[in-house]
Amino acid sequence: MPNLYKPDLMEVIGVRQHTPDVKSVSLRFQDAGRARQFTFQVGQFGIFSAFGAGESTFNICSSSNWRDHIEFCFRKVGRVTEALWRIEEGDTVGFRGPYGHGYPMEAWRGKDLIFLGGGIAMPPIRCAIWYALENREDYGRITIVYGARTVGDLVFVDELDEWARHPDVRVVRCVDPGGQTPEWSGEVGFVPTVFERSSVSAGNAVSLVIGPPIMIKNTIPVLKRMGARMSDVYTSLENRMKCGVGKCGRCNAGPVYVCKEGPVFTFQELRAMPMDY
Amino acid sequence: MNVLTREELRKLVGEWIAAGKICTGPVRVKPELVLFERLAKADDLLLDGWVRPANSIKELVLPRHEALYGYRIEKNRIELVDQPETAPEQIAIGAHPCDAAALPILDKVFNWDYRDDAYNRRREATTVITLACAERDEECFCTSVGLGPEAERGSDAILFDRGDGSFLVKSLTEKGRALLGEGAANGGAANPPPARFDAAQVASFARDHFDDAFWKEHALACLACGACAYTCPVCHCFDIVDEGNAREGVRARNWDACQFPLFTLHASGHNPRSGQGGRQRQRIYHKFYLYPEKFGEILCTGCGNCARNCPVGLGVLPLVAKIPHAEPV
Amino acid sequence: MSGENGFEPRIVAYVCNWCTYLGADLAGTARLEYPPNVRIIRLPCTGRIDTNLVVKAFEVGADAVLVSGCHPGDCHYTAGNYHARRRWMLFRDLLDVVGFDMRRIHFTWISAAEGKKFQQTITEITEQTRALGPYRPYACGAGASACQPAPSGGAGAFACQHSQAQLRETAARLLSEGAVKVVIGYGARGPIFVTRPEDAAGLLWNETCFANLTTYLKRKEVRALGKPAIVVKGCDERALVVLEKESQVERAEIYTIGMACQGLGQPKCAACDTHQPGFADETIAADDGPAPPPAADRYAALDALLEKPPEERLAFWTAEFDRCLKCYACRQVCPMCYCERCLADKNRPQAIDSSPTRKGNFAWHLSRAIHLAGRCVGCDECTRACPAGIDLRLLNLALARAAETKFGYRAGMDPASEPLMGAYSLTDKEEFIG
Repeated sequence: MPNLYKPDLMEVIGVRQHTPDVKSVSLRFQDAGRARQFTFQVGQFGIFSAFGAGESTFNICSSSNWRDHIEFCFRKVGRVTEALWRIEEGDTVGFRGPYGHGYPMEAWRGKDLIFLGGGIAMPPIRCAIWYALENREDYGRITIVYGARTVGDLVFVDELDEWARHPDVRVVRCVDPGGQTPEWSGEVGFVPTVFERSSVSAGNAVSLVIGPPIMIKNTIPVLKRMGARMSDVYTSLENRMKCGVGKCGRCNAGPVYVCKEGPVFTFQELRAMPMDY
Repeated sequence: MNVLTREELRKLVGEWIAAGKICTGPVRVKPELVLFERLAKADDLLLDGWVRPANSIKELVLPRHEALYGYRIEKNRIELVDQPETAPEQIAIGAHPCDAAALPILDKVFNWDYRDDAYNRRREATTVITLACAERDEECFCTSVGLGPEAERGSDAILFDRGDGSFLVKSLTEKGRALLGEGAANGGAANPPPARFDAAQVASFARDHFDDAFWKEHALACLACGACAYTCPVCHCFDIVDEGNAREGVRARNWDACQFPLFTLHASGHNPRSGQGGRQRQRIYHKFYLYPEKFGEILCTGCGNCARNCPVGLGVLPLVAKIPHAEPV
Repeated sequence: MSGENGFEPRIVAYVCNWCTYLGADLAGTARLEYPPNVRIIRLPCTGRIDTNLVVKAFEVGADAVLVSGCHPGDCHYTAGNYHARRRWMLFRDLLDVVGFDMRRIHFTWISAAEGKKFQQTITEITEQTRALGPYRPYACGAGASACQPAPSGGAGAFACQHSQAQLRETAARLLSEGAVKVVIGYGARGPIFVTRPEDAAGLLWNETCFANLTTYLKRKEVRALGKPAIVVKGCDERALVVLEKESQVERAEIYTIGMACQGLGQPKCAACDTHQPGFADETIAADDGPAPPPAADRYAALDALLEKPPEERLAFWTAEFDRCLKCYACRQVCPMCYCERCLADKNRPQAIDSSPTRKGNFAWHLSRAIHLAGRCVGCDECTRACPAGIDLRLLNLALARAAETKFGYRAGMDPASEPLMGAYSLTDKEEFIG
């Protein structure tokens, strides 16, 4: 009988460092059969292990169209991520997943897409962006506003350039005031402010907003002013997790288990949830 | 058989132990401490009088520490080592209705879409012989959560103490019949005690007064230990850890408790429940609102262990008794 | 020469970098042969060697442990080895009471010039351990718990009605005058926090008032209420003395309402010699007469345990610790366990396994006990709080006796005394150090 908690063994095929404390890792299933049948939806997450240190939860930040590998991105903050920091190509990492609900990309067809992200929140947005670009005709205008505290905190910077080269895709990058360098050619300001300046219409748009609570708090009024309905604004919630499958009782935010019934929620749903995350 | 004397029951227990079955029952571990423990011999089983052991039988289906699998590390290669897939046969003798009812309640979460086979194997291998309650103490409140001193949920057989050193036997399932035969007696005890609070009121209070100062005020005495959760028949929250050395180890699950500050602490330092009020609220919310919403079951069997074990007099009943309008209608 | 069945003992040696490690080096360069059975683990200083490392060596299969460092006076960090010596003086007694085989635990001073001594020490320890055989302390089949009925306490008649009334008046007065914002006291079910004068009527003083309320001074939610008045018995007040010594409380910021107590029927009460607080802001039912002598010897229960041979002691403690659930009730009720983040909750590294396994439980209880050496005031709350009935007070008594017999020290009795583990003396006895 399958052991619910037993991970797949993954081979590390690439490690990329984005900032002094952020890396992303590409993984391939060691079991070719499993690799063939594995599918996921962008927005779902996995539980990745460094054996000996433990497990940790990260969004699968690669597009579900990429059949040969999956990716995750992490910041080095604790025991498990410190162990993951040390991995190299050829090492073995564990993976359990995909868990949770992903973004309803089918339901978003025909809409404009607005992606707003702050700092380390880019990876869970990146997967949706790539998916949309790979199914470009299904979606309308795409606007991406991505910011971080400083230039050095931006991740997947080269991909931002690539995205901007796609038709009808607007990419605005920004850093917090004081975070710019002399060579910085992007915007200076907080994501909500910069977004408002971009004068995007949100009436026919679906928005995905991920970032620190303060950024989200300040972005909602801007979206409303631009005509967005809260049932069309999505986010991906984080909460401390262990099992990922709704059993260990740790991740509930009020009445919902974030691992099983989330992590993707609309702001309408979020508003009905108590502040338990 | 419809009637079993204490000696006959002990004799059966002796046979089960001799046959290699794992028997668990109330044992007087210290002069003032009775715990459900594994029975080394049938004489260890406490059958005299009513006593509420300070722990529960959930250990049989959810051990306090359980290896999920092992791992071996050889340079950059990992080998995973499976745990044995057979669970040894287990019999709980002398559980109370509040212990037995816990098992069908736990079944729900451990089979919610994803099936936890480690749990299910143990569950399948466990037979529960319940002793109906002829007495109670001031911490009991099973009738407030839909149970009662003769409730049969979760039991494979239930025994009624006749007061003369013998029990009436009622076998409820195949497993019960396999051990005790066809007993079909009924207890017919006096009316069960009235409910001490209205569980539905507790649920709506938890739902509607999430940020109420009530929780903070009533959690002041709480010292954030796990005594309530660990002695509760239905608390099931767990942690997953790797333990071992540089070459090999196990990934195990251990009991965990929402009362610990670390329970919800994010690596960033943010803690959604940074005060004890929020953590006490979570306990009541999970038991009386969240679990019933999801699974149609109250995550509490009214055994009173939380209050008995709390070093500072808190617990489900003491806390919900203070909720406005939660008195029985 | 191998022992029976070719048994080769495994010795773990924790050595300091500046002396013993160099001594070992010297033995090597001087071609002084010593058995290869030793695994040397180098640390900067014996002062850094946590007691749980000694236990950990046995967890992972060592048959004997050596801890070795610079001679007193020669420590590279001036006083690290003095601190270590003080610590070992107490830790050894704890390990002995728990039933570890003390013949397998060695301490020495070996300097950088003493290559020969290193050779001799390792050789002797290896031969000794070979003769003793393999050591598997965690494989002990636990025996039945020795049910020690705790001596019943002196339950004298309380002058409780009068004291209770006075206590309520005092509390109401302090609150209505605004002298304090909250009175921490005993209520019907346990501790209560009275913030309004009219609620002072809920305060009790009777035989159920055994909790040590000083533990609430560490809780941030309680501190946030403002200046507290706190009801303390003589035994509880000792905790305040220790907390103040450790800069955790400012006495001026707490109003202590002392209660003279004739005993609450708890096991500790029979041996009590602090029937009323000595330093409270006001004491209710204070008795100016001489305190009655304790009815029982404080360490009687410990003596009973020590009459058993080490193997039986280990079997007893194994049975006790096997019941531990890692609920940490013992830690949470303890006034001295106030660390923001307990060592057991840290995972870089995981110094103490969080799992409730046999070795995880031994590691936890031994660490906690030694962290309380010279600080535990014997309020026995940990024992009362433990839902698994573990006789924790015996561990605390072991260290309390070590503190008293070796240093004349009793925690919380003298506000002016130095902390026991935090200080050292140049004349600390080292008869056990080779």
